[in-house]
Amino acid sequence: MNSQSSPSLRQALTPSDNDSSPERKALLAEIDASCRRPVLFMFANGLLWLMAGTALALLTSYKMHSPNFLADWSWLTFGRVRPAHLNTMVYGFASQVAIGVAIWLMCRLGRVPFMQGGLVVGATIFWNIGVTVGIVGILAGDSTSIEWLEMPGYAAYILFIAYALIAIWAIIAFRFRRERHLYVSQWYLLAALFWFPWLYSAANMMLVIDPVRGTVQGAVNWWFAHNVLGLWFTPIGLAAIYYFIPKVIGRPIHSYFLSTLGFWSLALFYNWAGIHHLIGGPMPAWLITVSVVASMMMIIPVVTVAINHHMTMVGHFKKLKYSPTLRFIVFGAMSYTVVSLQGSSMAIRSLNEVTHFTHYTIAHAHLGVYAFFTMVMFGSMYYIVPRLALREWPSARLISIHFWTTALGILLYVVPLSVGGVLQGLAMNNPDIPFLKTVELTKPYLVTRTFAGILMTVGHTVFAVNFVWILARRRKAYQPPVPFIAAGLQQEAGAQLGKDI
Amino acid sequence: MKYGPLLFLGIFLTLASSWVGLTVIPQMQFGGLQTTKIEETGRDYPLNTWGAASKGRELYRANGCIYCHSQQVRPQGFGADIERGWGTRRSVSRDYLYDKPVFLGTMRTGPDLTNIGQRQPSVDWHLSHLYDPQITSKGSTMPPYRFLFEQRKIGAKPSPDALKLTGEFATPPGYEIVPTENAKDLVAYLLSLRADAALLEAPLGK
Amino acid sequence: MLIYIIILAGSFVFLTGSALLALRWALRTGQLRDSRRTALLVFDEDEPVGRMTDYFPGRPLPPTDPASPSISK
Ligand code: HEC
Repeated sequence: MNSQSSPSLRQALTPSDNDSSPERKALLAEIDASCRRPVLFMFANGLLWLMAGTALALLTSYKMHSPNFLADWSWLTFGRVRPAHLNTMVYGFASQVAIGVAIWLMCRLGRVPFMQGGLVVGATIFWNIGVTVGIVGILAGDSTSIEWLEMPGYAAYILFIAYALIAIWAIIAFRFRRERHLYVSQWYLLAALFWFPWLYSAANMMLVIDPVRGTVQGAVNWWFAHNVLGLWFTPIGLAAIYYFIPKVIGRPIHSYFLSTLGFWSLALFYNWAGIHHLIGGPMPAWLITVSVVASMMMIIPVVTVAINHHMTMVGHFKKLKYSPTLRFIVFGAMSYTVVSLQGSSMAIRSLNEVTHFTHYTIAHAHLGVYAFFTMVMFGSMYYIVPRLALREWPSARLISIHFWTTALGILLYVVPLSVGGVLQGLAMNNPDIPFLKTVELTKPYLVTRTFAGILMTVGHTVFAVNFVWILARRRKAYQPPVPFIAAGLQQEAGAQLGKDI
Repeated sequence: MKYGPLLFLGIFLTLASSWVGLTVIPQMQFGGLQTTKIEETGRDYPLNTWGAASKGRELYRANGCIYCHSQQVRPQGFGADIERGWGTRRSVSRDYLYDKPVFLGTMRTGPDLTNIGQRQPSVDWHLSHLYDPQITSKGSTMPPYRFLFEQRKIGAKPSPDALKLTGEFATPPGYEIVPTENAKDLVAYLLSLRADAALLEAPLGK
Repeated sequence: MLIYIIILAGSFVFLTGSALLALRWALRTGQLRDSRRTALLVFDEDEPVGRMTDYFPGRPLPPTDPASPSISK
């Protein structure tokens, strides 16, 4: 499929910026075909990690209220399973799926086929080896105990190299785009693809490979960990929302100007917010104050984005009934508003005094990474996978089940645990209440979380089944899926790709 | 619209600013902080952990105690850390000079451990607690660390280290529970945790 | 202490300066005017404005949609 050979260095430095470039803009079907192998491969691996991470999550949650469960083998002690869960989800599932979505969006918006799919499949294998090594390392007792960076140094090297090999091709797709005009999603993607390696390498250098002294590590740690969410997952999530809401409902974004304002305010403020994780801690006051202020300023991009997405959707909410992608994406977009405003409020000292060090923070983190980011990724996959596999999803019912179990599951997770967290914090700040009482009072909420986890596990399993099914069906006779006919281009794609199907 | 490079410049500058502001400047400001001499005792503060305690520190890292225990005392008037007896003064940067990594923590499923060596100096208490937290703290959600102990047949004479377990926790007759080196190292580390020296920047009680 | 103030003031001037320059550039070259066209980038002749592009497989389509089920046969 790749008629395009890889560019020479000189070409790479001087692409034509001419609007009337003679190069033909690629057909959507052509782009999808070029993304098929690398992107589906990333999704498949991401889903494997999702299932592994889900199992680890259930185990962690169960141990939290029943500490004797599987406690006698060091590999499965709580303090190892928990970081193993976080790292499988962050690096195995979320990042991998995010890169897949980013590649596809980059190519679609730039109207250019993806180059070097095979090479990227190789790099992805390397990435997955890195994640495996890291997770086994954590379980074996090599965790660094630095939150969000628990993977031992040797795994970090592998991940970094694999990332570089993959991301470079996404950037090249951007550089050689045939549509020279840029859409806001591309801004977010370019930024995320550049910010992540900086964050990851700087944090590893300053914390794992050659650690800085004392509490400076705390500052670096939270500069990094907060920005993995803020400058890696959030921009990719927003890029997907900015693309899919207009695309699915067939209506351009309400105000393009607002979307650029949202981008720059996010880029300016989010990356300064991380040290709010250390309010009250042994840090110079100015550092914490700077982060509290930046957290407050985050209200600007968040409200901007919320207004923009809402105004785009107005009058089209009925379409939620008909489109799986839209359901997940809109759920994610709404969660983004909620979680961000909640986050800003948590940086207020008087609230932080109560919620810091409690389960409230954990609930907040899941509202961000799951209810916002993961749901947006699910929605994106529902759109992308059929176009790559040239198959419609085999079962609409499984999609419905997936949506309702995960949506209700995450609500059942976040709401009770937040209540439990506040009660825990209030009790902890009252020195007359013995500490064990604060432990006792959270138990019902922790048990509820396990039930929520079971619900979400059902959703993930159902999704995995649907995913395997759609891939497995590829070998059978090809029937163009309904919406594709509607779009009137799949006959063409079918003819072009006949041999692959 | 040929603004690719300009866009990139903006992307670069925004992250560069916070990288400098939140990591490089702190490193310049207090990355070179030095130990100090405590007036009353004439000793340097803080002291590096060494020997058994430093091995115990590695176990604390490997087994993720940080996910339930913080090691930072918030100042008087912000939370109830000092009232709960978790410390005699707020924690300051100087307390962590030798810590790699720092175990500041973000979660208090269990109590803060900044000062556990002073608050709970009994080795036996810690060993029983690690073997099974229910022995000392009924209803605790702390996991048992039985894999740091060994159950073995009592030899010619019982080991002097053996845990004294009674009631529902008693071992089968003829057997004893003995802490491994790891368990002893971990307890040595816990006992080494005390931030009770008054500092110029952090007087006691604040 | 002085060195930090210099660094902070310096980076403040630098960042604000580049932001203002970028704004001037954007205004001069009309970047903020032509935003409607940019918003349309996600559409093309094959998938134009007004057409929904994602459905539950096998379920009835929205009644008013141009891509009504009759086309699929
Ligand atoms: C799942 C959460 C959890 C983990 C993991 C955990 N603890 Fe605990 N820890 C607790 C809870 C809850 C308490 C309070 C009840 C008690 O004393 O058991 C506690 C209490 C303690 C105490 C007594 C504190 C006091 O003030 O009396 C010590 C010491 C301690 N833990 C050490 C450790 C060490 C060492 C590790 C790692 C090997 C660890 N804990 C891992 C939850 C945890």
